Amino acid sequence: MSLTRRRVLTGVIGTFACVLAPGLKRTRAADEAESFIEEWTGRKATPSDRVHLAMPAEFSTGYTVPVGISVESPMTDNDHVKSVRVFAPKNPLVEVVQFHFAPGRSLPRVSTRIRLAAPQHIVALAEMSDGSLLMAKTWVAVATNGCE
Amino acid sequence: MVPGSVARNEVFTIKAIIQHQMETGLRADDTGATIPRKIINRFVCRYGGAEVFRVDLHEAVSANPFFEFHLRATESGRLEFSWEEDGGATYSLFHDLVVT
Repeated sequence: MSLTRRRVLTGVIGTFACVLAPGLKRTRAADEAESFIEEWTGRKATPSDRVHLAMPAEFSTGYTVPVGISVESPMTDNDHVKSVRVFAPKNPLVEVVQFHFAPGRSLPRVSTRIRLAAPQHIVALAEMSDGSLLMAKTWVAVATNGCE
Repeated sequence: MVPGSVARNEVFTIKAIIQHQMETGLRADDTGATIPRKIINRFVCRYGGAEVFRVDLHEAVSANPFFEFHLRATESGRLEFSWEEDGGATYSLFHDLVVT
């Protein structure tokens, strides 16, 4: 037999690592974003598909990375988005920007450009009129540090 | 960029940009001394005197801050855009919106 015991073991471990790694990474990333928000705001946020955070998965420069955010909301007096905050946890200063909206007058939909120091998960946190916090996150890889 | 006239209850888009260095306070000059922070820290849009959209900017907003946002046309009135700089300076722009 040409396969040694050591080779077989390495092969088995390698296969497990490949199969498990993507799943583990995703789980950990989601937990990290939620625990980050809890540490930062002292409150729990709920991941929600009502919050849309559109950013390029890869971008050539960290100086001007486009961001598009929209939140599904009727924007009535009783049910609206009060504000949306954006965080870049791997930036030297993690709080990026906060948008404030007015019920009946503005739509919770906005675009801007931000600086990123490193590839990271960006987190958008919407504070709703009932006090709840909804969040979305997306991974962005930048080729250059936009914070130097 | 603001439309000249819009129909009542129509949603219209505003694109606002200001040329500004947005000095983060994280950079050093040639002598190694830290360059002090000087950023636009707030952008406010008022419509007929009422605040309808506001942005709190931190250091990570890109130089030449740009925002695209959306308002509902409720009545003819003045749109006021204000950018507030560290140190207290404010830059304002006005636009009279006609709602038909």
